[in-house]
Amino acid sequence: MTRPLGGRVLTLGRHEYRFAFRSGVLLLLILSMVLVAAGSITIASFDFRAQVADYNAYLQQAKAAGVAVTAGPQFFPLQLLRGVIEYIEIIGAVIAIGLGYLSVARERTGNTLPLIFTRPVRARDLFLGRLLGAAALIGTILAATAVISLIVVGTVGGHWLNGTELLRLAIAFVAAFVYMLLFYALGTWLSARSRVVANGLVLALVIWLSVVLVLPQIGDTMDPDNQVPGGLFHALQVRKPDEKRVLAHFSTYEKVRNDLEEMSLSKHFERVTFAVTGIKDTYNGKSLGAVAHGKRNDIAWLAFYSALLGGLMWSGLTRQRALPREA
Amino acid sequence: MSATVVIARQHVRSLSRSRTFVLILGVLLLMTAVSGLIGWSSHATIIRVYDETVRILAAAGKSAPPNPFASKPRLSLLDNMIIYIPLIGALMAIVIGHMSVTADRQAGVTGVIFSRPVQRSSYFWGKLTGSALAGSVIMAACLVLSVLSLTLINGGFPTASEFLRLTLFYALSSLYLLLFVLVGMVAALLTRSQSMGLFAAVAVWVLVTFATPQFTAGLRPVASLNPVTDPATVSRSTFFRITSRAKPIAVNEQYKALSTRILTEGSGARPAKSAAQLAPIAFFLLLLGGWANLLVRRRDFSEETARD
Amino acid sequence: MSEHDPIIEIESLVHRYGDLEVLHGIDLKVEQGEIFGFLGHNGAGKTTTIHVLTTLVTPTSGSARVCGFDVVEDRLNVQRTIGYVPENVRLYDSLTAAENLRFFAELSGVEDVPRAIDDTLGVLDCRELADRRVGTFSKGMRQRIGIAQAILHRPRVLFLDEPTSGLDPMGVRQLRDTIVQLNGELGITIFMNTHLLSEVARVCTTIGVLAEGDLIYNDSLAGTLERFPDEASLEDIYVRLEVQ
Repeated sequence: MTRPLGGRVLTLGRHEYRFAFRSGVLLLLILSMVLVAAGSITIASFDFRAQVADYNAYLQQAKAAGVAVTAGPQFFPLQLLRGVIEYIEIIGAVIAIGLGYLSVARERTGNTLPLIFTRPVRARDLFLGRLLGAAALIGTILAATAVISLIVVGTVGGHWLNGTELLRLAIAFVAAFVYMLLFYALGTWLSARSRVVANGLVLALVIWLSVVLVLPQIGDTMDPDNQVPGGLFHALQVRKPDEKRVLAHFSTYEKVRNDLEEMSLSKHFERVTFAVTGIKDTYNGKSLGAVAHGKRNDIAWLAFYSALLGGLMWSGLTRQRALPREA
Repeated sequence: MSATVVIARQHVRSLSRSRTFVLILGVLLLMTAVSGLIGWSSHATIIRVYDETVRILAAAGKSAPPNPFASKPRLSLLDNMIIYIPLIGALMAIVIGHMSVTADRQAGVTGVIFSRPVQRSSYFWGKLTGSALAGSVIMAACLVLSVLSLTLINGGFPTASEFLRLTLFYALSSLYLLLFVLVGMVAALLTRSQSMGLFAAVAVWVLVTFATPQFTAGLRPVASLNPVTDPATVSRSTFFRITSRAKPIAVNEQYKALSTRILTEGSGARPAKSAAQLAPIAFFLLLLGGWANLLVRRRDFSEETARD
Repeated sequence: MSEHDPIIEIESLVHRYGDLEVLHGIDLKVEQGEIFGFLGHNGAGKTTTIHVLTTLVTPTSGSARVCGFDVVEDRLNVQRTIGYVPENVRLYDSLTAAENLRFFAELSGVEDVPRAIDDTLGVLDCRELADRRVGTFSKGMRQRIGIAQAILHRPRVLFLDEPTSGLDPMGVRQLRDTIVQLNGELGITIFMNTHLLSEVARVCTTIGVLAEGDLIYNDSLAGTLERFPDEASLEDIYVRLEVQ
């Protein structure tokens, strides 16, 4: 009579997806991501055109004056996606936390947990089912974002991505997929462990803020050179060798600053995706092998967070109380 | 006692007993403390870096330009609050606004409330007043904490003018937060499902906080997380020049600009400019307030039940 | 287990919530094919007992077996043989009745899901509800779909927690007929917590009375009526037991 265990995982996964689809949440999220992605690529494309126009004007002036010409701005189409990746880094994480919260809150509000927990469903099925549903939801949102990005880069940016660029884009989106799943796990874990589900959401948002905003910002704003627009050393007219000599006196401070930044999951995601897509100039044109080697530390951090949050989500879901406390 | 006062008092009481609200208060206070700490740490380091630079330049026989940080006003140490409030504060305000509508629904008491001689508008004003009070209490607590951190960092109590500026900044922040309380309320009133209400409000927050600055101020998403704007990150395209015309109505940008002026500009207040910057915030407050009031009046509370 | 073994067997069952002990070591047996009415005032521990038997709560000490399977050691097998309808059953409002049933049927491991749904709705005489959203249902309709989700996989025991709560007289009568039908036609043993003594008198074959976490009475309904010939109704008998 019994179906294979995989059947239950699929049932639970489909259940998650259907709810997001039916309630309109999925459509709302897709629309939000698609809109901001399209907007940001459009601005970046027009920006690049402005740079080219400036360069052409300079070129004509330089030729007229008989001055040697410096190289013009180079077009790297994947760099137009910088805004999209930043949106995934910030908003994608909030979306994923929200999806995790919703999946726990739905069963609590509807008081349907006892009905699920009296079924022959193993903890493993529950965990994998939720994960499968979340993967499908996040996959749909990211797929829609990727497709719209391709189209806008092609139409507004005037460049249709070739095979190699598509591969790099795909890798960046796989990293985004993992990144969002990690925040989904965080939202699920905290909501499932909180007696009041909304507290779980608030706590998850606090962690999101720390990871996305506070930690990188501490790294950024505690950087002495970032305190003055244009840079402190520039304002003090200090050259690079002298700057290094000054900073040599602040090695402990710099270490604390770097270590704080290292704790941020978002920074590791940003570094990996910026390197793969060549948004970070130093990695532009380098092979994927070289990128993987250069970013091995960040990849290791992402793997560490995957294990940690996966474990926490497992513990949250399997130790969740089916019933409110009662006498 | 009028129904508005009764509802406001009940709302404040239930908020103060809600762990979620206490958590929110704790988070904002923590962020204010962190803001002070970051300000203090970077301030102290800058001074040391400057001294070190002066020493090295002097050894090479060069004279050092004046410390660019010394010309910054003392309140600019709290720069980070201008970022934290639209980010964290607004998100928390959405939760408060959302709770003001859904708490009664969850408890199943809306039907009971409206079986009493309570006007719909009294209900709305009660909820709004309660939420505004809660927001103001949070901002007042942040003000106290800011004064404390400034006293510690600068080694002396802020001057009367500084104190006035701080108070003005937190009063402005309370208004800005009220905007998001209303966003949370309107979204919850427009939807039957609680989750959809919360998500829709968060979507508005994302739009106001990240997407609008990109179009109106040319800031990329991550750049809008940093209080010090790097000119290199600002867009220069014609497209941006067109979209940036919408800046005067971008509430987030106006709030940041006005706050920066309050906290960091020297003497010489410019009331006309301040009023122009305050106008979009006031306009959206009126718009959302009117909308929420209308929704409360028209809503059918007879079949209110909590839905996922 | 043989057909003569009790289908539910509880021994020295104790359950505590923190410092508060709600079950003080109860012993109880329910035979196969019975309709067992579990009586007791609010807070007596009836719902906790059902939660232990449906594997929702792990008892502090003692043991409980359903269909010969231990509720702690053999949880999955217990879950395969039971159906559970909580008090004020809530389902997914945004899904139709059929979608709700499909979800629970698949979780229960039912092989031919469409057929199981159709058969069950047929048994409960409510096929017309299949494609309507549960959010639009009356309390009585919701209760019927709540029972449907619990019998889709043809359990051997059905646990009902205060099934008549909030139902109108017609709803109560319909529920009574359903319970008798499930017991008579499908051979499902019924274990129900209830306050409605008139219904217990009409449908139950055996009763148990729980007071302050102790089982103070357990006998067949016929035996009970014989033992208290002076009392006019089951209600009077219950009051006398509680007072004692």
